[in-house]
Amino acid sequence: MAAVPVAGVASYRLNPLPGKRRNFVIRGIATRAEAMSTGPDAARARLGTAARLVLIVAALAVVAVTAHRLIEGGNWLGVLIVGAVGMAVLVVYATRRLVPMKYLLPGLILLLGLQVWPVAYTAATAFTNYGYGHLLTKAEATEAIVANSVQEVPGAPRYAMSVAVKAGSDPITGEPHLLLTDPRDGRVFDGTGNGLLGLNPAGIQKSPTGKVLSAPGFTLLTAKEVNSRRDVQNLVVHTPQGGIKPIGLSHAFEGKASMTHDPATDVITDGSTGKRYVARDGSFIPEDGRGEGLPQGWRVSVGFDNFAAIITDPVIRTGFLSVFAWNIGYALLGVASAFFLGMLLALLFNDPRLKGKAVYRSLMILPYALPGFVTALVWASMFNQDYGLINQVTQVSIDWFGDPWAARAALLIANLWLGFPYMFIVCTGALQSIPGEVYEAARVDGVSRLQMLAKVTLPLVLVSVGPLLVASFAFTFNNFGLIFLMTGGGPFAAGNTSIGATDLLITYAYRLAFSGASPDYGLASAVSILIFLLVALLSLAGFRRSAKLEEFN
Amino acid sequence: MLQRFADAFAKENGVKVAVQVSTDVRRDFGAAAQTGSGPDVIVGAHDWLGEFVQNNAVSPLSLSGDLVAGFLPSAIAAATLNEQIYGVPYAVENIALVRNTALAPEAPETLAELVESGLALVKSGKATNALLVPVGKGGDSYFAYPFLSAFGGGFFGQKANGEYDPGKVIVNSDTSIKGAEVLAEIGKKKVLSTNVDGTNIDALFNAGKAPYYFTGPWAIETAKKAGIKYAISPLPSIEGGGRMLPFLGVQMFYVSANTKNKTLAEEFVINQMASTEVQEALFVVGNRPPALKEAYEKVAAGNADVKAWFEAGVGAKPIPNISAVRAVWGPVAQAEADVIAGKSSPRAAFDAAQKQVVEGIKKG
Repeated sequence: MAAVPVAGVASYRLNPLPGKRRNFVIRGIATRAEAMSTGPDAARARLGTAARLVLIVAALAVVAVTAHRLIEGGNWLGVLIVGAVGMAVLVVYATRRLVPMKYLLPGLILLLGLQVWPVAYTAATAFTNYGYGHLLTKAEATEAIVANSVQEVPGAPRYAMSVAVKAGSDPITGEPHLLLTDPRDGRVFDGTGNGLLGLNPAGIQKSPTGKVLSAPGFTLLTAKEVNSRRDVQNLVVHTPQGGIKPIGLSHAFEGKASMTHDPATDVITDGSTGKRYVARDGSFIPEDGRGEGLPQGWRVSVGFDNFAAIITDPVIRTGFLSVFAWNIGYALLGVASAFFLGMLLALLFNDPRLKGKAVYRSLMILPYALPGFVTALVWASMFNQDYGLINQVTQVSIDWFGDPWAARAALLIANLWLGFPYMFIVCTGALQSIPGEVYEAARVDGVSRLQMLAKVTLPLVLVSVGPLLVASFAFTFNNFGLIFLMTGGGPFAAGNTSIGATDLLITYAYRLAFSGASPDYGLASAVSILIFLLVALLSLAGFRRSAKLEEFN
Repeated sequence: MLQRFADAFAKENGVKVAVQVSTDVRRDFGAAAQTGSGPDVIVGAHDWLGEFVQNNAVSPLSLSGDLVAGFLPSAIAAATLNEQIYGVPYAVENIALVRNTALAPEAPETLAELVESGLALVKSGKATNALLVPVGKGGDSYFAYPFLSAFGGGFFGQKANGEYDPGKVIVNSDTSIKGAEVLAEIGKKKVLSTNVDGTNIDALFNAGKAPYYFTGPWAIETAKKAGIKYAISPLPSIEGGGRMLPFLGVQMFYVSANTKNKTLAEEFVINQMASTEVQEALFVVGNRPPALKEAYEKVAAGNADVKAWFEAGVGAKPIPNISAVRAVWGPVAQAEADVIAGKSSPRAAFDAAQKQVVEGIKKG
């Protein structure tokens, strides 16, 4: 990328042509590198080309490594995306065309990766049951259910085990043999996928624990070799009672899966109880409808179920309106109070007669400079009814976090503390950008100071600050951190842990999705899409208003 | 400490083992396991087991009967779900009654004695709090549980095989309600307060102004630093019921279901981490009683505190490891806070909690 401007500068110096033609020449020369093959400028251009090539190769190397990892993980969509990014880099930067794209591409990739992709992913998730207990594919879930039901056969021995291959075959690819020693009588067996065979004890050396150390006709594998072989870990030596499986490096046990899956009927049967489980809505549930389903489920599409749940759930329906009302009130009051205080301070500290402004202004910004979550925790402890600073200093006993209105007030106070420095900064900036002539003209017209503020200063400040207020509104509307750290959405009405008095839609959605027995990402995604739509609509209305303000100007 | 054993193991088997510290193992592991790039072995609390199994993040370990017999039965129970053992426990943890011996030289036998002597100290101005139990505005189910368990109440009933049964929620059973009534009674006497929570409780005890504190081993370091002379004893018993039994938390080693090094991971966890030597060494790091009986005996012989913690946990049941327990923490905590603050009667609060828990479990 760096090569492009270098080439441009070089060609400009070589061709000091005036006016519009310059652009044409820059492009013309830049596409013909051979036109400047001599002199120090040419050397710089070559250096630029070399640097560009190195950067392209480096970018492609990153792409290749990432793609390799994704292929290993079997993530083909990822491979496709990474491949597309690699192609784009190559096409845009390896040629001398597409100059605007050279500047836009990094931003575009980041926009797609960090903004568009999460939104699309959330939207897609909203139509599934994705969540704890439904993270797997059906095949994985079924396999896990069967594998997790393997129980040791009662009374079976724990074999001492060594893993070997036939002498002469390759330790990594040769057919694995489990050399198993029965601890009861010291007999040694050779276990393979075909079953268990007795071994002639002659020539076999064993450790004190019974583990075979060497056996004629076999090459023993090292720990590293055993570990690298998936086929050894998955090996089952079938026996009449079940199967012998390795566990760790030197032991094997005889186990039997109590659950069996019948692919024809898609029914899992628990052999120990005879209970049958049928596949339904991403889980295996008891066929007779009694008792629990099996824990591992899989991801299925549920259509509009998550949205329907939000609309039809009585708790959600009743809670939504009160939460929404407080959410709007909190965002409006929060932004308005912070703006009011910030503006007031900005006006005060903008007075030319005030000395030491730099010091005051730096102090004002301090609350903004501290990490917000630390401030939130400090405020939370200051609002403690018995031990908090606020009640102790003011000699009152307000139950700040136990009373709904007190809790709301406490949040607005903390929000004000966190929010006014930002407003102070932007208002100071806006004030300083108002040209002095405007005030002079007003003074000539004989305007009073108050009128000047209301008719000149404020409208001019609002023009530049208006859009920021809208953005602040959207941020405050979704200020999860402050609510979560200070009140956790509470206080809650007795006997109701789903709707708190200070819940915002976002904290409410969080609890809704994660308060059940299993976190439900599908439902959470559906709620966040609704919140997204709401905030988008509110912000749109806000931006319309601030645009009107500009027209006044 | 763990790195030392990991290195020894690595050398013996010609591999590399890295010990990584994560601030949120539970979530990080779940996310990493999804992408197949997570660790082979993780160390964590036993009550994560339910969700790990749901998401197929961990594999069962077929431990031999001999090995199992060496562990505390309660630790094995904590590691067991659906009749499979999913990890090797290395430490147990529970709360106990910690008292400031300058204020309370003798350990009270019953809660009534505790409350009486504590309130007397408050009245005489020697103490600000009769008893410290973290509650907070939202309540704390983990600390509310011993009040319920004293009468045989709790969260879940048990299945025939001894595991917790998500189909039997006993939050509003008569036994649990008896415990809730005790909460209401001592809440009324201002012995418990929703203004005491995790953020200020250590400071209150370490100021030397509270005789009694229900807490776990984690609170001892700062108390020592503050120069508090303390003693640890089992939680008291409650009149009309039995001894308050805390929840048992078990720390254990899990083997990832998505590991690419299954053989070595199993070998490491089963044959190395279950050894007396390792469990003793891990005690030095966490100061929690080892889960391996032999290792505990050795450690307890030279450490009165660890013996006291352990004895306070004798007879305690593990925190439920079934995933349904997620639906319990919130509602029971809220019921506790409401009862202590006098906002709601024990029966009404715990009935409402029961309803919410059952609905939460049904929601899945």
